[in-house]
Amino acid sequence: MTQKKRSGAKTFVPIGFNILASLLIFFILLPLLLTLLSTSVGTLLQTLQDQVVIDSISLTFKAGAWATVMGLLLGVPIAYLLARSDFHGKAIIEGVIDLPTVIPRTAAGIALLLVFGRTGILGKTFAHLGISFTDRLAGIIVAMLFVSVPLLVNTSRQAFQAVNRDLEQAAQVDGASAWKVFWQISLPLAWRGVLNGAIMMFARGISEFGAVIILAYSPKIVPVLIYERFQGYGLEAATPITVILLILILALFAILRWLSNSISE
Amino acid sequence: MQPFQQLEEAFEAENPDVDVQMEFHGSIQVMRRVTDLHRELDLVATADQSLLPMLMYATNNPETGEPYANWYLSMATNTITIAYTSKSKYADEISAHNWFEILSRDDVRVGISDPRFDAMGYRTFMAFALASDFYSDSSIFGNFVHRQFKYPIRLKTEGEDISIIIPEIVETNPDSHLVVRGSSVALNALLESGEIDYAFEYVSVANQLGFESVKLPPEFGLNDPKLEDYYNRVRVELDFQRFASVEPIFTAEQIRYGLTIPTNAPQPELAIRFIEFLYGPKGQQIMKDNWQPLFIPAQIDQPENLPAELKEFFGL
Repeated sequence: MTQKKRSGAKTFVPIGFNILASLLIFFILLPLLLTLLSTSVGTLLQTLQDQVVIDSISLTFKAGAWATVMGLLLGVPIAYLLARSDFHGKAIIEGVIDLPTVIPRTAAGIALLLVFGRTGILGKTFAHLGISFTDRLAGIIVAMLFVSVPLLVNTSRQAFQAVNRDLEQAAQVDGASAWKVFWQISLPLAWRGVLNGAIMMFARGISEFGAVIILAYSPKIVPVLIYERFQGYGLEAATPITVILLILILALFAILRWLSNSISE
Repeated sequence: MQPFQQLEEAFEAENPDVDVQMEFHGSIQVMRRVTDLHRELDLVATADQSLLPMLMYATNNPETGEPYANWYLSMATNTITIAYTSKSKYADEISAHNWFEILSRDDVRVGISDPRFDAMGYRTFMAFALASDFYSDSSIFGNFVHRQFKYPIRLKTEGEDISIIIPEIVETNPDSHLVVRGSSVALNALLESGEIDYAFEYVSVANQLGFESVKLPPEFGLNDPKLEDYYNRVRVELDFQRFASVEPIFTAEQIRYGLTIPTNAPQPELAIRFIEFLYGPKGQQIMKDNWQPLFIPAQIDQPENLPAELKEFFGL
């Protein structure tokens, strides 16, 4: 975790870096700002009354929340493992965790379809339990989980690594079990990083398009609905929903960031 | 898609100075690229030629005040088929006489394309309506759509005329056995992977991809020019106006593919070269090899507007 810079500390960076930095910030903010300003408040309010849009937003958030919960359940243990133990093949495991971020999203969707599709290994197995994935909520969750869980694992791992090992070892010496050390020392201290990872994962998950559309074209999450409106009815129909999604994500992002900052202080 | 990719390759081999760039969308979507998204394309081809007058003749380019197109070539026909594989459920049972019954079974997953965006989509519903009419059994259409969609797709009969009403939102119910995609080409991968058992496809596409297929009889297959009056009684209406720029009614007719050069094409001379190649011996052979032979002699709508080079090429 980074230390907060003491005020008055002299910056020592090469000349021109601040210009380049501003350029990048401008490059990120300009398209977003212009999109936000492209629709009138009236149109936005009208779009917010569109039942299809409402359903799509709630579906998107529901799927994102499920994916994040599963990500926490499966991702935190491996993050802790990677932060606290050295084992043979650790580098390989770290590479595997990063894989979903480096392959094209459409490729991820196809790979998931082959496994979770009706004739795939897991698709067949889950069918016995009455769970199917193509064009179902479960499919959306799986796709979101696959593409966004690396963010949670990597952020959480860094957070665990930043926890002072002496504290854990002291507790261990006093006879605390590994479970107890994790719950009462490591997790409370790494909590902010884990939450940050969960936020990143959630935001990344609900924005996912490429992998989701291959596994579940419908029910339509907001990114798919935006695509469908854009394809079917043009830019004018797609922009209001785009703006709504942007506002929701930005607001959520701000709230959760604020929350994680205040928790840690 | 396949014949066009082969045409691209063969054309580029003969014209090394040209790089043909193709994109594929549902039939209606293709034209909206030009009329709504203001893309400047050199050549537009569609699986339903009647969309060209409806969407491109009728829309003016705001920059020039001219319509986006004012002629088209009627390229070729096709037949509606139901594509499947040997793994599909009831593969040994389906035939040209019971397809509508098999496809209405709850345990059969059927892929259709979106009737709002793709010609194959509304043609699928036309085939069911025609079958209902042919066998005088309205449950043929009814059973297929019953409880499948969140907002129902309805059949309305007035005397001889049959209308299929498509709601603004086409979304299947959570337990539906239908799978809807934006265009029929998007169904191929799902059929290959076993995700769906059957998909509505054109016979040329099913053959190109090596699928098994039930070729629908001409009464429902929309391939027989002699049945034009019979087909014409059926129409598909999109029950919404909110985003539509034209009256969204599609009349059933023999399937005919259309091709035009938009009036705002940036490189019309290259488009002309491509059409001349298509109607030349190599192009004709490629289309024939893909089960989609061209209409020869060429059939042209509003031939007086054809570019001079093409008038000469077609001997007008």
